Amino acid sequence: MIYNIVHSILREAGNINGYGLFSFILFFGFFIGVLVWAFALKKNHLNHMSDLPLDGGEKNSNNTIKSEKL
Amino acid sequence: MNVETFKYDNRIVRAFGIATIVWGIVGMLVGLIAAVQLFFPDANLNFQFITFGRIRPLHTNAVIFAFVGNGMFMGVYYSLQRLCKARMFSDWLSWFNFWGWQTIIVAAAVTLPLGLTTSKEYAELEWPIKIAITIVWVAFAVNLFGTIVKRREKHMYVAIWFYIATVITVAVLHITNSMTMPAGLFKSYSMYAGVQDALVQWWYGHNAVAFFLTTPYLGLMYYFLPKAANRPVFSYRLSIIHFWALVFLYIWAGPHHLLYSALPDWAQSLGMVFSLMLIAPSWGGMLNGLLTLRGAWDKVRQDPVLKFMVVAITAYGMSTLEGPLLSIKTVNSLSHYTDWTIAHVHVGAMGWNGFLTFSMLYYLFPRLYRTSLWSTKLANYHFWIGLLGMMFYCVPIYIAGVTEGLMWKQFNHDGFLQYPNFLETILQVVPMFRLRAIGGTLYLVGAFMLAYNLYRTAKAGQFEPDTEAQAAALEKTPVAAGKSAFHRMLEGKPLFFTVLATVAILVGGLVEIVPMFLVQQNVPTIASVHPYSPLEVLGRDIYIREGCLGCHSQMIRPFRSETERYGEYSKAGEYVYDHPFLWGSERKGPDLAREGGKYPDAWHFNHMDDPRSTSPGSIMPRYSWLLTQKIEVDTLPSHLIALRRIGVPYPVGYENGPAQKDLSAQADKIVANLKLGSVKADSDKEIIALIAYLQRLGTDIKSAPVTTAAK
Repeated sequence: MIYNIVHSILREAGNINGYGLFSFILFFGFFIGVLVWAFALKKNHLNHMSDLPLDGGEKNSNNTIKSEKL
Repeated sequence: MNVETFKYDNRIVRAFGIATIVWGIVGMLVGLIAAVQLFFPDANLNFQFITFGRIRPLHTNAVIFAFVGNGMFMGVYYSLQRLCKARMFSDWLSWFNFWGWQTIIVAAAVTLPLGLTTSKEYAELEWPIKIAITIVWVAFAVNLFGTIVKRREKHMYVAIWFYIATVITVAVLHITNSMTMPAGLFKSYSMYAGVQDALVQWWYGHNAVAFFLTTPYLGLMYYFLPKAANRPVFSYRLSIIHFWALVFLYIWAGPHHLLYSALPDWAQSLGMVFSLMLIAPSWGGMLNGLLTLRGAWDKVRQDPVLKFMVVAITAYGMSTLEGPLLSIKTVNSLSHYTDWTIAHVHVGAMGWNGFLTFSMLYYLFPRLYRTSLWSTKLANYHFWIGLLGMMFYCVPIYIAGVTEGLMWKQFNHDGFLQYPNFLETILQVVPMFRLRAIGGTLYLVGAFMLAYNLYRTAKAGQFEPDTEAQAAALEKTPVAAGKSAFHRMLEGKPLFFTVLATVAILVGGLVEIVPMFLVQQNVPTIASVHPYSPLEVLGRDIYIREGCLGCHSQMIRPFRSETERYGEYSKAGEYVYDHPFLWGSERKGPDLAREGGKYPDAWHFNHMDDPRSTSPGSIMPRYSWLLTQKIEVDTLPSHLIALRRIGVPYPVGYENGPAQKDLSAQADKIVANLKLGSVKADSDKEIIALIAYLQRLGTDIKSAPVTTAAK
């Protein structure tokens, strides 16, 4: 039934038939996969990842020069 | 733990930074010269090399590949080293990348004004330069992957994913769209013809925007925004979804450039649907950027770096909402071919790319020179003048675009076109072109302010060629088991990650493009359509050289407003010998798909000599050099052979005599026609070839309008 509904919507949208259906299912599956994947990630790992740009390993970091001057 | 000391290469970052500023100013200046010609056509000083049609591609190429391209390399070379905690893989490759890229830019700056162009938008450079681009890009890729492999940080931050997607996709796009058959050192014909060429070109053109102007800059946003705000990105989880959804979806959206064209309906609809879906990841990214600044908006008030970034991210959000809306077929029927598209791309180019580049430059130069910015006040002035410039550029052009679209479609009460003369619709918006030039000037003045400010910053500071850094060496540790193990493994395995990203970007292209080449019903042939005559081939080459398609489309959409104005709508089968396709993407002049036979030869002659003599008030430049320059007949054999090799059925040996005979006969006939119109011309002049081509346009189906299915 869902197949019929999706198929008819895509047909009405411009007679895109099999190409549209294939593309839609492909993306839908892909997107759900990415969602599940992203939400399965552990908090501490995410924190570590998002902190990466802030630590460039520079010995004499002058990253704060600007904010001090302002 | 084994802590290693190493050095980041700042020289290469500085070199790309300087190149960004220089080429940015050049690119904007060329844009301004082009903009002025739209309301003052004599501003080309009757000098063919700076005429609109030739410098428009120079402007787009300079801004995209020279300004944003160098800006991208600058940001990537700075951030990649720090995110990988490693110096670039090879200094030699870094400098090869730098000098190679600058050489390509110089080559573009020389060849495009000379009229050496393939005519495919954002891919205009001729084949030797295309090969050079491939080599330099591969060098960049090796350097990037080499650095990733020798990194000291186990996980790849999301910015690096965007860089990887950029490197892979640009390579795929560039190679696929550059398939040409050389017909001389600086002349080639696209392997694809007509509809197929159009699909490949706009698959490329759209994704050049996606993977050259967007994905690398998103990577840079994910690095420089947290750096400048000194806080991590709002949601790393969202950035993961942003990345995968964006790279998967973007590649499908190309056909939205060809709505209501002769492209099969299914491909148009797919392009539209996927473009609409793009709003979600794009806005996810924009919100992720803006929300990173939560609790730091006080800093935005003071720090010009953040100010520029906020406007850049907002402009990204606006263009990525507008883009999908413009992809809706109904909206597109109004906007396409008008200045609306120009306004749309300039919100992206000036706002997103321009402002993000400026913010990176303001961030980097004080750090590279170990000092503070010479004048924060001047940077703030730059911000405001840049913003004002953008407004003065975009708002009038939006108004112009909508006005053009509405006027083209307007019928009067008797059912006739309200504005049957195209010129009337364009003259209506000329005041907007003037305002646009003021906006462009303001934006350019801002760029000069930036250059001066950074020059003074550099003078005041001491350049640090290498920044010393320390990090622990990467040790091989087993991946922890658990739900997120797969993703963590992915972040640690660049090769596997690259393969997955490549699959994600290839799927869309394959689904859309492969059926266009394999399923013959997609391009129904028309029996009466035959190859161009030798004189017409050379005329078409002149049409390409002069960049006529910058202002004239050759694609009549199936609307009554278009068929009334131009004639029968365009069919896919009419373009089977069009290597390359010349549909164009904007109309500053009328569509020419059915130009053949509309006017006498003498009209075209006089029109090219001085457009205002036949069309008072016309904004078209004079092409008087076509009246004096000789047709390059000696190039004919190589051109015909090249076309035959890619499928145009010229008989073998045709180029050795018969073609020249046919050419002379047709030229003589045009000269005789001109005489009837009291015009005296020699048969060996370029104008004759161009007239032959223009008079041929769209006439095939008039002679015998019989459509047959493909054999």
